[in-house]
Amino acid sequence: MTKTKTNGQASRILIVDDDSDVLVLFSKWLKAENFDVVTVESGKDALAQISIARPDLVVTDLIMDEMDGMALLSEIHRQNPLLPVIMLSGQAKIPDAVKATHLGSSAFLTKPVDKKELISQIRKHLHLAGNGKTNKSQPFGEGIIYRSSKMAELIEQGKAVADGDITVFISGETGTGKEILAKAIHDASPRKDQPFIGVNCGAIPEQLLESELFGHEKGAFTGALSQHEGLFKAADGGTLFLDEIGDMPLDLQVKLLRVLQDFQVRPVGSVRSVPINVRIISATHTNLAEAVKEGHFRADLYYRLNVVPLAIPNLAERPEDIELLLEYYLEKFALRKGEPKKAFSPEALDYLIASSWPGNVRQLINVVDLCATLNKTNIIPLSMAQKALGDEESDLRTLKDAKHLFEREYLISVLQLTKGQVANSARIAGRNRTEFYKLLNAHNLDPSDFRDQAGA
Amino acid sequence: MDKIIVQCDPDLEDLIPGYINNRHKDIIVMQECLETGDFAKIRTIGHSMKGSGGGYGFDIITDLGERIENAALASDTDKIVQAVQELESYISRVEVVYS
Repeated sequence: MTKTKTNGQASRILIVDDDSDVLVLFSKWLKAENFDVVTVESGKDALAQISIARPDLVVTDLIMDEMDGMALLSEIHRQNPLLPVIMLSGQAKIPDAVKATHLGSSAFLTKPVDKKELISQIRKHLHLAGNGKTNKSQPFGEGIIYRSSKMAELIEQGKAVADGDITVFISGETGTGKEILAKAIHDASPRKDQPFIGVNCGAIPEQLLESELFGHEKGAFTGALSQHEGLFKAADGGTLFLDEIGDMPLDLQVKLLRVLQDFQVRPVGSVRSVPINVRIISATHTNLAEAVKEGHFRADLYYRLNVVPLAIPNLAERPEDIELLLEYYLEKFALRKGEPKKAFSPEALDYLIASSWPGNVRQLINVVDLCATLNKTNIIPLSMAQKALGDEESDLRTLKDAKHLFEREYLISVLQLTKGQVANSARIAGRNRTEFYKLLNAHNLDPSDFRDQAGA
Repeated sequence: MDKIIVQCDPDLEDLIPGYINNRHKDIIVMQECLETGDFAKIRTIGHSMKGSGGGYGFDIITDLGERIENAALASDTDKIVQAVQELESYISRVEVVYS
């Protein structure tokens, strides 16, 4: 077994072939493209490596002794249904290709394999799996995980408008990833090496927003102890992302409109305007057209901002992406914590896919983090998923609050179960007694209360 | 004998000598297998050559590998001998140019 890591960000490819000439050749090709490469000579070794090396994609030969490529593919997908597997065969036999496809193979290539075709297929299937980490020239929206046609269409639109200065307007409910899309557009634009500055217009107090955006001179107002250049100036040459633009006060909308017409900003307290070169991407979760009708938003500004409208679908509108997203964020959690990757049970997965996700991808990330943090085993059961999503949906608590609440309820359940026996409770919770007592203290829980209950 | 010039990927320069050397080894193994009648082993070697030759830039090795694989499948000693001789001739004459 050979393992080579070229850098921490590269996608890891596991190559399985009993021909060492093929292994060294593919390894050479893929390392030159900045992939991490792990090679093994049998299906059995491949299965062992999958749990250790955690590859992002597997390339396997079909004909091998002991375990052939089909058996390996079946076993891989039994354990990791989303792991892309590219099958290679010395013969282009249609029944083999059909069988491999039925078993979930991502692609079926005939040997001798063309280098460009192999790399292209690897890139394609890494991207489809939401794992396009390795790219010398980054693809558009690398961090956006999807397989749905709705998202694919959106990404194509984003890609099409990236290469220019056209003003983009992104709409989407909270948590759909408006800023991530804006950043993807920036990163794919000629301005990518210049600043990307994001500002949430709804999060800054009205009286401060003007000076935050346009800057101010020293002494322009009480508390203006020094000169401040403002976010437009800070983003000069790059992109300014105005999030929740619908929350901008009307009087400031006039000033913003003027900036967009003249491409000059005048800091508060200054008599001189400063030229700026900024691309504007704005976003909102509200219906801005409705706000215009109701007189809360200026029509002229709306039309100036809404040159290219991009609408991000809600998570519930693209259920085919949910499993992919859950896998992706479980993987991220495991990597962050240096722990084995956990998985949702089939029942939990069905439940999560069918859920309404009012908080969209952001809520999904919170649910994954909560489940992965609190679940003691590697398989997250339906009850945990329900609990996590239930807590999330009830009032969208912060992750810290949700964890705290869940932990308390968990401790109560365990104490009720053991009738207040600390030793048993600690064992069930997977903690030693000292740690368990600390947890009880943190939640102000007294085991004797549960013993009393038992005796009552 | 005339040289056969083959253009290969410069990135593979450090791998090509090893690849050619492995074919020399294959020839020896296949000649031994012919004596013992181990067609299965010959077929495996032919299959591997077929799968790897083109990737390194040696399409001829892929073609010869396919012929050896098919001949072994049919237990056709004459065809195997002929293809192995052609392989031996080819790798003794091949001269690689990296460009």
